[in-house]
Amino acid sequence: MSVGVKEKAAGWEPLIVAFCCNWCSYAGGDLAGTSRLTYPSNVKVIRVPCSGRMNPMFVLRAFQRGADGVIVAGCHPGDCHYSTGNYSARRRLSAFKRLVEFAGFEPERFEVRWISSSEGDKFAEEMTGITERIKALGPNGKMRDARWQKKA
Amino acid sequence: MAEKSLKEAEKIREIVGQDLLGGRIGLLLGWEKGHYWWQSRPLFAKNEADLEKLTWDSFCVINLSRYLLEELKEHGKVGVLVKGCDARAFNRLLQDNMVARDRVVLYGLPCPGMLDYGRLNEEAGGALISISESNGSVTLKTGTGEKSVERDQVLMKKCAECVYPDPVVYDQLLLSPQGKKEGVERFKSVEDLEELTPDERFAYWEGELSRCLRCYACRQVCPFCSCRECFVEQDNPRWQGRAYQPGENFMFHLVRAYHGTGRCIDCGECERACPVDIPLQELNRKLIKDINQLYGDYEAGVDAEADPPLLTYRPDDPAAFSEK
Amino acid sequence: MARTGVFVCHCGTNIAGTVDIDQSVEASRGFPGVVHAGEYRYLCSEMGQDLIKNAIEEHNLDRVVVGTCSPRMHENTFRKAAAEAGLNPYMLEVANIREHCSWVHREMDEATPKAIALLRAAAAKVALNDPLDIPELDVEKRALIIGGGIAGIQAALDIAEAGYVVDIVEREPSIGGRMAQLEKTFPTLDCSACILTPKMVEAAQHPNVNLITYSEIDEVKGFVGQFDVKIRQKARSVDSVKCTGCGICWEKCPSKAPSEFEMGMAKRKAIYVPFPQAVPNVPVIDRDNCLYFKKGRCQICAKECPPEAIDFEQQDVVIERRYGAIIVATGFDQLDPSIYGEYGYGQHPDILTGLEFERLFNASGPTGGKVVRLSDGKPPRNVVFIQCIGSRDKARGMNYCSKICCMFTAKQAILLKEKVPDARSYVFYIDVRTAGKGYEEFQRRAAEEYDVAYLRGQVGKIFPEEDHLVVHGVDSLSGKIVEIKADMVVLAAASIARCDAPEVGRKVGINSDSYHFFNEAHPKLRPVETHTAGVFIAGACQAPKDIPDTVAQASAAAVKAIGLLSKEKLQGEACTAEVIQDECSGCLNCIAVCPYTAITEVEIEERHHGGTLKRTVAQVNPSLCQGCGSCTATCRSGSINLKGFTNEQILAEVDAICL
Repeated sequence: MSVGVKEKAAGWEPLIVAFCCNWCSYAGGDLAGTSRLTYPSNVKVIRVPCSGRMNPMFVLRAFQRGADGVIVAGCHPGDCHYSTGNYSARRRLSAFKRLVEFAGFEPERFEVRWISSSEGDKFAEEMTGITERIKALGPNGKMRDARWQKKA
Repeated sequence: MAEKSLKEAEKIREIVGQDLLGGRIGLLLGWEKGHYWWQSRPLFAKNEADLEKLTWDSFCVINLSRYLLEELKEHGKVGVLVKGCDARAFNRLLQDNMVARDRVVLYGLPCPGMLDYGRLNEEAGGALISISESNGSVTLKTGTGEKSVERDQVLMKKCAECVYPDPVVYDQLLLSPQGKKEGVERFKSVEDLEELTPDERFAYWEGELSRCLRCYACRQVCPFCSCRECFVEQDNPRWQGRAYQPGENFMFHLVRAYHGTGRCIDCGECERACPVDIPLQELNRKLIKDINQLYGDYEAGVDAEADPPLLTYRPDDPAAFSEK
Repeated sequence: MARTGVFVCHCGTNIAGTVDIDQSVEASRGFPGVVHAGEYRYLCSEMGQDLIKNAIEEHNLDRVVVGTCSPRMHENTFRKAAAEAGLNPYMLEVANIREHCSWVHREMDEATPKAIALLRAAAAKVALNDPLDIPELDVEKRALIIGGGIAGIQAALDIAEAGYVVDIVEREPSIGGRMAQLEKTFPTLDCSACILTPKMVEAAQHPNVNLITYSEIDEVKGFVGQFDVKIRQKARSVDSVKCTGCGICWEKCPSKAPSEFEMGMAKRKAIYVPFPQAVPNVPVIDRDNCLYFKKGRCQICAKECPPEAIDFEQQDVVIERRYGAIIVATGFDQLDPSIYGEYGYGQHPDILTGLEFERLFNASGPTGGKVVRLSDGKPPRNVVFIQCIGSRDKARGMNYCSKICCMFTAKQAILLKEKVPDARSYVFYIDVRTAGKGYEEFQRRAAEEYDVAYLRGQVGKIFPEEDHLVVHGVDSLSGKIVEIKADMVVLAAASIARCDAPEVGRKVGINSDSYHFFNEAHPKLRPVETHTAGVFIAGACQAPKDIPDTVAQASAAAVKAIGLLSKEKLQGEACTAEVIQDECSGCLNCIAVCPYTAITEVEIEERHHGGTLKRTVAQVNPSLCQGCGSCTATCRSGSINLKGFTNEQILAEVDAICL
C-alpha cells in the first residue's frame, strides 16, 4: 500500500526533511538529544556544513521524492561558523521560499530557522512545530513523483 | 514599411559599414529579413554584400547579445546592434564574465517596441498581407481592405511592458532616445496570482507547465543562461529527471527562474521563444519584485557595476521566513 | 560496486533502549552496496573498533557506515579505526542514531524506522564517498593577543616563556585593563597595582613580548596557523623611542579633558598617560582636545619636551603581520545604570557605580584616595550598596549573574570602614553569592566584623533630600518598608560585553551569545577554544569573571596556543571545494560569496576547431578553503563541488531518506 498523495490516508505520518548546518543547528539537535528533549520522529536530519551550502534544488528534490515539509536550519545571522555563509543563505532561501510559494506550495511546506548549538530546546520546539503544522496541512502531493512512493 | 525605419536602416548601415569595411570590427550582428515579411532574423555581416541585407524594422525582436558567446570565439572584435533589452543582456553577460567589453562595439538603437504578428492578425481579422506605419499608427492590409490601429495595440507583450527601451550601454548611439517608460505595470499579473490560494496557484501552474515540451528554447535565448552545461542535461548528478512528470516540469521551471534571481533582465525572450506560450515572465518577475522588496531596488543589466543581490548581503537583511 | 559494511552501536541501552538493533542490522543488509552488517554494545570501545577493523579485512570492505552517537562526538574515532584497517578515513559515514534518534524518541516503533532511514541515508552517501587527502599547513610561530588586560598579559607571558613571540594589541595607550582601575582585590585585599604592575613591566621587558598599544585590529584574514592581521596603530603624536616618560609635557599642557580611566570623575591633560603606572610610560596627544590640533597654536609640550619626542605630524600606521594563533581577551564594560530611572544615576554626584566608587579609594584617583562625597567633599556616614543593577533582571537588564558584584561590594564595604571608621554600610541584595576559595569567609567578615548591614530586598526609589539621599526599599525578610538616609549610593552595575564585541567577533570570526559575550567551543570541555580553529578566548569577554578565573582561563588559552605553535605542520581541511574546470563557465560568482578568498580566477586553454582558445575559470586554493560550500550553492551548473558534501551525496541522502 502506498501513502495517498492527495488525501490524508488513515495513519498517515508526514515526512519532514531537515537540513542542518554542522556547527549550530546540527549541534543544537545533538543538544536536544543530550537533554533528552523529544520531538516527532517524522523529522529526519541531513547534515550540511553550512546553511550556505543549501542548493534550493535539494529542497525541490525532497518534495519530488515525497517530503511533506522541508526545513533548513543554520546559525543565527552574525554567528556563522564561516562568518558569512548564512547571510548568503538568507537571501537565496528568502527568494526561493517566495518562489515556491508562488508556484503553489503552502508557506508551511518550506521553512528556514536559525538555531544555535546552545538551543537544544529551540531545536525540539521548531521540529515539533513544523511537524504539527504539516500534519494539519496534510500530505504534500505537489511536485511529488508518483514513481517514488513510500512503501507501506 | 515605414519610411522612417528605412531611413534609420540607411543611417545604421552607413555607420556600421564604416567600421566593418574599415576593419574596426570583424563581424556585425544585426538583423535581416527572414522568409516572411513579419520576421527579421539575425544577420551575421562580414562584408559589404552582407551589409546590404541589414534591416531595421518593427520585427527586429530577437535579442542579439547572446550570439556574442559563440561569435567572439571566431572573431577578434564584434559589433552588435543593441536595443534596450539587448544592451541589458550585454551587461548581464559582462557581469557573468562571458564577454570582454573591449572586444565588442555596441551600436545603440533606442527601440520603439516591436510588433506582434499574432496581434496584428487578430486586429486584421482576416488574411494579413502587409502593414505600413506612420506616426504611431499601423495600417493593416488584408485581401478585403485596410484597417488602421494604434501601434501600442499591436506591440509584443514584452515590448508593451518594457521599462528601458533605450540602450543602457553603447559605444555609439545611432538613433534618438525614447526615454524611460514610466507607469508600466509589469507586476500586475504577478500580483493577481499572489491573490490566489496556494492550491489555486498550483493548479494554475500545473496547467501552464503541463504544456512544457522541455525543448529548452527559453534557456537557449536567455542571456542569463550561459552555463556550459545546464543542470538539466547533467547525468551526474541527475538534477533533472527526463520523464514526463508534472514534478519534473516544476523542477525545471522553478530552478530556471531561481537561477535568474537578481540576474534576469526582464527582456521576455524566454516567453517569446516558448512554443507553447507558458507565461515564463511571471516566474521571473515574481523574483524581481520580491528581491527588490526585500533587498532594495535592483534592476539587473542596467548597471554592470552594481552588485547582484544574491552575491552580496547586509548583516541586517530581512528574511522571508516567518522568523527573522 | 561499493562494498559497504554497516555497524550499529547499542551504546549500552542508550540506543538499544529505543532502537531495535536486530531489525536495524537486518534492514541494513538490504541497502544497495551493503555486503556486511553487524552490531556491538559499544562500538567506540577498543573491542568495538577492532570489530570494525576485522570486518573490513574479512569482508574486504571499501567503505563503512557506523550507526552511533553524533558525528560531532566520535566521527574521528571511527575514521581513525577505518584508517588503521587500511581505508581512507573519509570512506566512513556516521548515522546519528543516538542524539538525533534514540534520545529524542521514546517508543521503539517510532525510533527504529527512523534509525533505519538514517542508516539508509548514510549508506547511500558513503557509496559516493571518495578518498580524501588532508592537506598539511604551515604554522607561523607567533601569537596575537587582542586586549592587554590581566588576561592578555598573563597569556602573553605564558606564551613568551614557552619560547614563542607574542604581540599584545591594546586599544588604550597603556596595558593594564580593568584591573588597573581597582584599588584592592578580593578576598585577600592585595593592592591591585602591587600585583599587576610587576606583570605589566615584565610583559614590557620580556624579549618575546611586543606591546602594540593605542592600536586596534582592522582586519583578520587567513586561517589557523596563518592568520593575516592588519593592526592599526593610532597616531600617538609622540615618538615612543625618544620619549623618556618624564612627564613634563602633561605637567605643562594647558588643555584638560575628562579622564576615561577615572570614568569622567577627574580631568586629564590633552597629552596624557591614563594612569601613573602606565606601561608603556609614553603619553598620547588626544587630538580632539589639544589646542594645537584644534586651533593651530600652543605646542607647549613640544617646546618643553627635553628629548624632542613630540611629533604632531605622526600618522596612523597599519602593521600587517602573520600569526599562527589568536587569543581574544577584550574584557568587559559596565552597564550604564541611568537606564533605571528609579536609582537616579547620573542625576546626583553621590550616586556612583561600583567601579566609580572603587576609584575614590585610590591614592591617584579623583579624590586622592579620600573617600568623600563628590557633592561636598565630606566623608560619608551612611553608604547604601545596591546589588544586581541590570543583572538577574529578565525584564529590563541581563538574565545572568555578573558574578563579581557580591564580592566587590563586600570588599568596598570593608575598605570604607577602614578609611572612614564611623561609616555604616547597607547592602540591598537578591542573594549573596560567594562561591570561590575564601570568598564566603570574606563576605562573613564584612557582615560580622565590619558591621555591614545586609538587607534582602529591592530598592524602589532614591531621591535627594536636603544634603542626603533618601533610599526607599523593602526588606523582604521582615516584609518592612525600609527608608535609609544615605550620604552615598553605590550601584553594582552589571558586567556586560564590550559595546564593540560583535564587531571584534566578526573580524576575528568567532560568534557570541545573545549578550554578545564570545562563545566557547564547548561550555564544559572546550572552554577556551572557539569554533574557529586557532582562535581562543580568555577573561571577561567570554562571560563575567573575577581575576582568579580570568588568569586561569588566560593560562589555559596560552597552553592551547602554545600547543598549536609547537606543531611543525597542521592538518588542514579535507572537505574543500573543487572546480570542474571543463564545466565551469567562468562567471566567477563563487568568488563573490567565498568568505575566505579561497577562489581565484585562472586562465585555461581549450581546443576549439583545431586551434586553442583561452578562457577564464575558477580555481580553489585548498589550504584557504574551509569547506562551507557557499560557492557550490551559487554555482548554477554545479561546476564547483564540495568534497565530503557533494551534490551527488546530498541528493543521494535526500532520495534515501524519502524512501
